[in-house]
Order: sequence, then C-alpha cells, then structure tokens
Amino acid sequence: MNEEQMKNSAVIEESMNKTVGRKVSKVKRWFNLLLQSKTGTVGLVIVIFIVFVAIFAPILAPYDPNVVNPTEVHKPPAWMEGGSNKHILGTDNVGRDILSRVIYGSQISLLVGITSVILAGIIGIVIGLLAGFYGGIFDHLLMRLVDSFLAVPNILFALVIISVFGSGVTTLIVVLGITNWVVYARMVRGESLSLKERDFVRAAKSMGVKNRNIIIRHLFPNVISSFIVISTLSVATTIILEASLSFLGLGIQPPQVSWGTILSDGRDYIATSWWLATFPGIAITITVLGIIFLGDWLRDILDPRLNK
Amino acid sequence: MEKKRVFIIGLILLISLLVACSNGAKKSGSDGGGTSSTNKEDRTLEIALGTDMVTFDVHDHVNTSTESIHVNMFNYLFKRDNDTGEIEPELVDTYELIDDTTWEMTLKDGVTFHNGDELTSEDVKFSLERVAHDSNLLDHINYNQIKEVEIIDDLSFRIITHNPEPALLNRISRIGSAILPARYIEENGMEHFLKEPIGTGPFKFVNWIRDDRIEFEVYEDYFKGKNEEWDKVVFRIIPENSTRVSELLTGGVDLAVNMPPSDWDRINSTEGVSLAQETSNRTLMIFLRSTEGYPTADKKVRQAIDYAIDNQAIIDNILHGSGVPTITRVAPGNFGFHEDLYDTYNYDPEKSKELLKEAGYPDGFEMTFHSPRGRYLQDAEIAEMVTGMLSEVGIKVNLEFLEWSNFVEMRNAGENEDAFLLGLGNSMFDAANALDWYNYERFEGQIDYLNEEVEELLEAAEQNMNVEEREEQYKEAQELLADDTAHIVLHQESINIGVSDRIQYEPTMDEMIYVETITRK
Amino acid sequence: MFNYLLKIIAQIIPVLIIISFIVFALVFIAGDPVALMLPEDASTEDIALLRESLGLDQPFIVQYGNYLLQLVQGDFGESFRYGEDAFKLVMERLPASLELGIAAIIVAIIISVPLGIWSATKRNTSIDLLATGGAVIGKAMPNFWLGIMLILIFSVHLGLFPVTGRGTIAHLILPAVTLGTGIAAEMTRLIRSNMIEVLSQDYIKTARSKGLHSFKVVYKHAFRNSLIPVITITALQTSTLIGGTLITETVFSWPGLGQLLIQAVHTRDMAIVQAAVITIAVIVILMNLIADILYRILDPRIKYN
Repeated sequence: MNEEQMKNSAVIEESMNKTVGRKVSKVKRWFNLLLQSKTGTVGLVIVIFIVFVAIFAPILAPYDPNVVNPTEVHKPPAWMEGGSNKHILGTDNVGRDILSRVIYGSQISLLVGITSVILAGIIGIVIGLLAGFYGGIFDHLLMRLVDSFLAVPNILFALVIISVFGSGVTTLIVVLGITNWVVYARMVRGESLSLKERDFVRAAKSMGVKNRNIIIRHLFPNVISSFIVISTLSVATTIILEASLSFLGLGIQPPQVSWGTILSDGRDYIATSWWLATFPGIAITITVLGIIFLGDWLRDILDPRLNK
Repeated sequence: MEKKRVFIIGLILLISLLVACSNGAKKSGSDGGGTSSTNKEDRTLEIALGTDMVTFDVHDHVNTSTESIHVNMFNYLFKRDNDTGEIEPELVDTYELIDDTTWEMTLKDGVTFHNGDELTSEDVKFSLERVAHDSNLLDHINYNQIKEVEIIDDLSFRIITHNPEPALLNRISRIGSAILPARYIEENGMEHFLKEPIGTGPFKFVNWIRDDRIEFEVYEDYFKGKNEEWDKVVFRIIPENSTRVSELLTGGVDLAVNMPPSDWDRINSTEGVSLAQETSNRTLMIFLRSTEGYPTADKKVRQAIDYAIDNQAIIDNILHGSGVPTITRVAPGNFGFHEDLYDTYNYDPEKSKELLKEAGYPDGFEMTFHSPRGRYLQDAEIAEMVTGMLSEVGIKVNLEFLEWSNFVEMRNAGENEDAFLLGLGNSMFDAANALDWYNYERFEGQIDYLNEEVEELLEAAEQNMNVEEREEQYKEAQELLADDTAHIVLHQESINIGVSDRIQYEPTMDEMIYVETITRK
Repeated sequence: MFNYLLKIIAQIIPVLIIISFIVFALVFIAGDPVALMLPEDASTEDIALLRESLGLDQPFIVQYGNYLLQLVQGDFGESFRYGEDAFKLVMERLPASLELGIAAIIVAIIISVPLGIWSATKRNTSIDLLATGGAVIGKAMPNFWLGIMLILIFSVHLGLFPVTGRGTIAHLILPAVTLGTGIAAEMTRLIRSNMIEVLSQDYIKTARSKGLHSFKVVYKHAFRNSLIPVITITALQTSTLIGGTLITETVFSWPGLGQLLIQAVHTRDMAIVQAAVITIAVIVILMNLIADILYRILDPRIKYN
C-alpha cells in the first residue's frame, strides 16, 4: 500500500465513521427539530394516526364497508335529524356505512399512495444512479425519456394506460409508479453526477473498488435522503390523483374501496346528501395536509442546502 | 438598475397574460350559453344532454340520444304517434300493401329540404337502399330486410322486401329511417353532408361544436308550416350530472335530461323548474351466460338468481319509486306485449336457496358480474344492490365496473363472464326487435342461450302477415322465456327530464325530444 | 444563443418521437376501435373487412412507421369518431383550454404571491401554519369536488355566476378559481421557500440592520428578487395545469381540449389522443423553454453553454 492509497483509505474511513457517529446524535437532533417546527409536529401526529387507522381498520370499522341495505339509504349522520347512532357518519346511496367505508378507504388510499411511490422510487433510483454514474449514451437516452414523461401530464398518462389495461389496485399502483419514476431518476442522476466527483468516491475508485460496490455503498446511501423528501410529497399527490382518476371513471373496482372512489361516487349527492362526499373529502384533505407538513419538516432536516 | 428591469419584465408578462386572456374571451364571445334567462320572449330553446351526438350519419349510430336530436331536422316516412301508439304517415301521403313483400307509397307534395330541393322518390330510394345494402352501417341489421326501392314517378315508389315483412312500417319509423337528400349528397359527397347536413325537418342545422353544443335554427319552409315558437334550438352537452342539474336550477337551460333520482325532490321544490316523468321503452336486464361450464347454464341457478333479487326494493330505494318491475322486455305500447308478465316479479330468497341446493350449490357459488357505470339510470347503484342481494342467498358476486367502450369491447370479444347488466330500448316498438336477443346465432360465444321452441316461434312470427297470429306467437315465446328464466329482467326504466316553468313539455316513451311539441307558456 | 436553440431543438425531436411511440404502443395494445365502430351484432367478416380497409391488420412496426411518416407531413390522421382531421379538431379546442389555463394562472398568482411572501416573513408562527395550511388544503381538495362546491354555492345559491358556458369573464371565474386553487398551493409553497432564502441573504440583513422598515425591505428588495422564480415556477406548473384542465373542463362542460381528449380516450379515438398528447407535450416543452430563456435573461449569472 503506497502512501496515496493509505491516505485514500483514511478518507473513506473518516466518512464512514462520520455516518456511524451521526446516528446517535441524529435522533436527538431530529426530535429537537420536530419540537421546533409546529407544522412538523402536526404532520407527524396526523400521519401516525392515519396509518394506525389503516392498519386497524377491521377492528375500528363498525360494519363491513360493502354491505348494502336497501332500507337504509341516504341516512344522515347521527347528529342530524333522521340520523341514528347505528351509522355515526350516515349511509350512502345504497345503504353502506360511511364511517366504515372511510376507515377501510384509508387502506387502499395509503397502499396505492405509498407503494406506487416506492415503485417509482426503485425504478427512478436504479436508473438514475446508473445514468449518473456511467453517463454516456445511456445517460443521454435516459434524459430524453425523462423529458418525454415530464412533458405529458401524469393524469393524462394514467388515463390512457388505465383505459387500456382496465382499472384495479395493481394496475393503478403500476401506472402511478411508471408515470412518476422520472422525477426520481432525474433527481438521483443529478445527485450521483456530483457525488461521483467527490473525494470519497474518487478514492474508492482509485482503490479499485468495483463500480457496483461504489454505487451500492457510496452513492445509494447519499441519494436516499433526497428521495425521502420528494417521495413524501408524492404520496400526497398520488392520493389526490387516485381520486381524480375515480372521477374520470377509472378508479379501483369494488369490493375494494378508497377515499377517491367514495368521494367520486358521492359527488352527485353533494347538494342532497352532503355527507357522502364530505367525509372522504375531509379524510383526504387531512391526510394530504399531514403528509405535506411532515414532508416539509423532513426537507428542512435532510436537505443540506437549507440546513446551512 | 437590474432589479428594476426584472420588475418591469415581470409586469409586462402579467399584462400580456391578461390581454391574451381577454382576447381569447372576446374571440369566443358569440354565444356563451348558460345565460338564457327566464324571459318569456326569449325564442331560443336550450336543452342539456349528458352525452354528445355521435354523428349526423343517421344510419350509423343506433343511439337513442343522438336520434333525439336528429328528429328535429329530419323526417321519417312514417312516425309513431306517442299518444295512440299507432304508426301514422309523416312524409308519406297514401300507402298500400300490394302483396306480402311490396308496399306502394306516395309522398306528400311540396316537402322541401333545407336547401330548397324538393323531396322526391329518389331521396327515399337513396336513403333506404343505403342502409339496406351497406353492411358497414350500424343500423344495417334492422334494414337489410329491404330488397330495393322501385321508383314509379317523382312522388310514388314501391318498397320491396326479401320476405314477407309484417313490421315494415315499424322499421321505417325509427332510428335510421330519416330521409336524406340524395342529390345534395351525390353532388357534394357524404363527408360534406356530415359537416353541413340538411333534412326536411322543422329545424335546420347551424353548428356543431363537439362535446359542447349543437345549434339549430327554424326552417321557414317546413312542410307542416314554420315553427312559431322557437327561432333557435341549442342542444348543450353537460356530462356531469350535478352540473346539469345546477344549470337547470339556475335557469341556464330550459330542459335537462337524465335527472338523477336524488335530485328529484330538489328540482320539484325549486321555483321555476319541475320534473317531467314518463315511462321509457327501455328495460334494464341482467344477461346471463348459458355457455356450458358456467353455473348460469343451469335453469335452476338462473331462477335462483331471479328469486334472490327484490326488484321492487331496487325501484323503491334506488329509483325513488319510478320504474315498473317486469319479467319480459316487451313493454306496453309494443306489438306483442304480454300483460301477465308485466308489472310483476319473482322474489323469494328461501326458494332461491332451495333452488341453489337442487342445482348442486348448497353453499352458493362465485360469479362475475360486469356493469357499465353512468350509462343507465342508477346503473352502478343497481348493480351494487343486486350484488348485495345475491350475497344474501350465498352467491358471491365479483362486481366489475367497466367504462362503456370497454364494456362493449368485452362483450364483442365474448369475454363477458357469468352476467352483465344492460338496458335495452326498442325504437321499433315491436317484439321482433326485443326478442331478437334470444336468437342463439346472434349472440353465439357471448350469451349462448339456445331455446329451440322459442327460435321456431320467432322465425315464424318474423314473416307472419297475420297480425293476430303473429301477436300470439310472440306472447307464447315470452311465456317460454319467462318460464326458462333465460335472463333476469329487472324493470322498465323511467324518463326523468327537468323542465323550466317557462315552457310546456311532455316527455315521450321513445325518449325523443320533439321540439315541435314544446311551447312557451 | 443560436447554438443554444439548436441544442434545444435536437433535444425536443427525440422527445416527441418517444412520446408518439409510447402512446402509439399503448393504443395498439388497447386493440383497435373496429369493434366499437360496428353494431353490437356485427359478424366477424364485417370486422375483418373494416379492419383491413383501415390498415389495422398490418404489423405494429409497419403501422407505427406509417404513422410517423404521416406525422412528419403534419398529418395526425382522421378521427374515427368525427371523420375529421384530428389535428384540426384539437386546434379548434385549444383556445378554450388556453383561455382557462391563463385565467387559472392569474388566479394562482393572485393567491400565491401574497400568501407565499406573507408566510415567509412570519416563518414558523401560527400565521405561517395557517397560510401554508390553507394553501395545502387548496392542493388537497380534489378539483372536481371543489368545482361542484363552487357551482352549488356561487351559482345555485348565490346566483352570482353562470354554471357552464364560455364567452364572458363571468363564465370564466368559477372554472379558473377551481383550476387555479390547486396550482396556487404548489406555488405558495415554492414562493415561500424562495422568499425564505432571499430573506436570509446578506443584503437584506444589511438593509434590515440599517433600520429600514421591514415592509419596505420585504416588498422592495426581497419580492423583486423572488419574481424570477415566480416566473419559472409558473411555467413549470404547465403540466399540472393541463392535467387539471381535464377534470375542471369536465365539471364545467368547458369546451376545451379536456372534454375532447377524455371522450377520445374512452372511445379509442387514437388519432385524437395522439394529436392531443403531442400538442400538449409541445406546449409543456415550449413553456419550459420560455421559462429557461427568461431565467437566463433575467439572471445574467447563468450563461449559455
């Protein structure tokens, strides 16, 4: 081992030690930052609550969300005239319990929102890392592909794809995944372009570390924080996008139920039975609010540019 | 310095946006629509529809909503009187049955197209033979019974059919029966006609902006006399139900079709508008697949499904009481109507379970049910309710909603599973059209229902010139079908139109909107 | 500058080819529209005949090749549904959509600029929470729900605006607010973070320390500097904006591209879908280009390279 190599390995070691050492103080630092940010606290509480509801939906929901009842249609919420404690948030146009539907709806809405973003993230990160690291013709092609996807509105892409393949939870997740991946690909590519010029990557390279290992060990951990920041916001947009697709008649199929479909099914009754569309609407609004607040807070913590 | 420049450029940008905007607004400023007031002197009639017209090719749409627009600019040779149910001559003056396959007719004198051309036998020949001979046209199947039209003189002609055709007059008084201007089309081409169509009707075409509006103006030289009520008729396309209702409530339109049941009370309690209802000639049905391998191939299973569904509960709770339960598709007012099968239904969950047990499904079974959404009155809600009712007797239904074009495609490809929901109208007002759905060959690979006895009866009736005997044959066929529960007939739909108080309008069973019958109060 | 433009064009052409390929492939997989064009009881021969006459029996790559050749000649094909030139139909509808889009941007600017600045100056206070919260609610409300609510409140109950139709400013307000609210939320957030950055710059701090009134500092110095990002942010919202018009136009029966496009997707009117998607892509690319150029003009620190 010559002198230079030794120096390089020292650099790597140092950067690794930093990461380990950071972990302990990080939790504390995060917690402090959380308390500093009112919005962050609110966001976190909301998100935890919604996730809790989604996980324990079968226990929390008073009824099966799909049981219809011809004699109990359009029953108003309990506190209104004609309402009863049997259906706290009332019933819908075929007599299903709204509270149960909204509770169960959280499952699909979150599932679609989170998994499609993860899918988009995986595709985007892999392609972005490769393009950024290797560059050349692959990078060139990728950027054109990214431009193409960015030039067509998400919802339009989803509209065309779903009308071709039919609507279902899986299709929806895949569709939203492949319409969103470019955002991550572009971001990751940019980050890895600058990362590969950094000392510790150069050092690793000169020590003969395999490209694959450099990407996995050095580039990947460094792009993950940017990913988390963007992806929280994507979860929010995806939940709304799902509702919009339901509106266009391309939502998910029964017996599955999402906030988007409840809201969209209830839209004809906004003037006459307002509770059909209002409660899923409130659920979406609160969730998106929570996620965006949480996302902003995460950005403040994780985005080094704003952290100076 | 630099900051100032930034500011100025920003300002210029904002202003140019504003200018562009107001320019855009001005350019399109001709007729905004939605502004028609309740002014009694306003001679523009605005009608809100849920879907756009398909085409001006009268032979190529088979679409009731499209036809409801066409009837205002075209005429048929005959027209069904919605009050009496009789088929009356319209463009025709005199007519006579020469033999079983030949009708001789004379046109009214002095009928003109919107370009001034006189209506002649040539036009009749062109129109009827076009649809009778061109198998690419959607309505071909309903007109291919016609062999040819023989011209006698300018106003007289003979319609010759391949076989005896007892329902010919029904056939030529419906969708696809409009008489087109032969010379105009031959000189300018069909494409030109589709862009600037002319007919003989009371209103002439002005403009069609896709998915937005179709405009007509009164035709001065209409052969029954110029319409004195309206100078202009505008059909506006407003797909969202709630928007269409709102537009009616605010006086933006005079008529609005397909008012959802949940808004009926609201419409009736709002000053200035009311709801006009009529029974439609459309029947909502669940088609079951009789292909071998499907549980529904078994008569007992089909009956079990029938007995599990409470038709009246659907009508009462989903349709707010409007609709008539029935077990046949042939409604009153149609030739071949069977009274005993109408305004009745089968419902007995216990018997249903019993039948399932007998059929070998004591624990029920699983089936797939396809339904369109937003095509028929409360179709999605009805499908969901049916799904719930079937689960009560142990049948697990996987309900799948499809967008209309996917729905049509699925059926054409024979990819439909155990059951699908469909609402069928009958513009012929003859059982021949309604019962054609039990023709095995026509839906082979899609429905596969075969009942030889029924087929024989239908074949015999199709060419039977003896009216009474023919009626009996259709009635018998319906009895056999009901007994075999070929499909599930749910109910006869209702027509629900929101009407402004400034006009007088009665909906008709054929779902057409005859502007001629609409008057200002 | 010339080289810059040349480079941009060299980038745009492959993008358009990729888009046309993706959409063409999707429509191809979807199956041809022949089944929809014939009656419910058409025979298989009828279907085969029509398919052949439309050239739909050819292999995929041949069909796509033919399509590209036509595209180069400016021919987007004919709409199955309307029997008219697809591109012409799209162009007929574009003005209405542009009008709505521009009005929505104006609404969004009116809402987001003051709100963004305000919340930035009151960072992390309850006012900030309220302002950003309000903006987020605007984003979180699905467009169609907001549109229906606005109609019910402002048209049906208050009778202030017409429900549908186009032609006057009154017709434009409700759809523009519906569409504008969604993008206003995004813009508020971006303007806020931009302002925070500007406010932390040294010269602002200096101005403040000199004792200048904070209102003056914010609006004279900080706001002007945050105008550049406002312009680019606005341009970058084009894609979201067009996506939003699909929904808003349906709710208000606005006679723009949205209605035409949605119907075309549902009826597999391939020519219109293609023409519309490519037109939209060109608009988005152009807007981004304009933003880029403006940014370079306004901020001389960035060089053409």
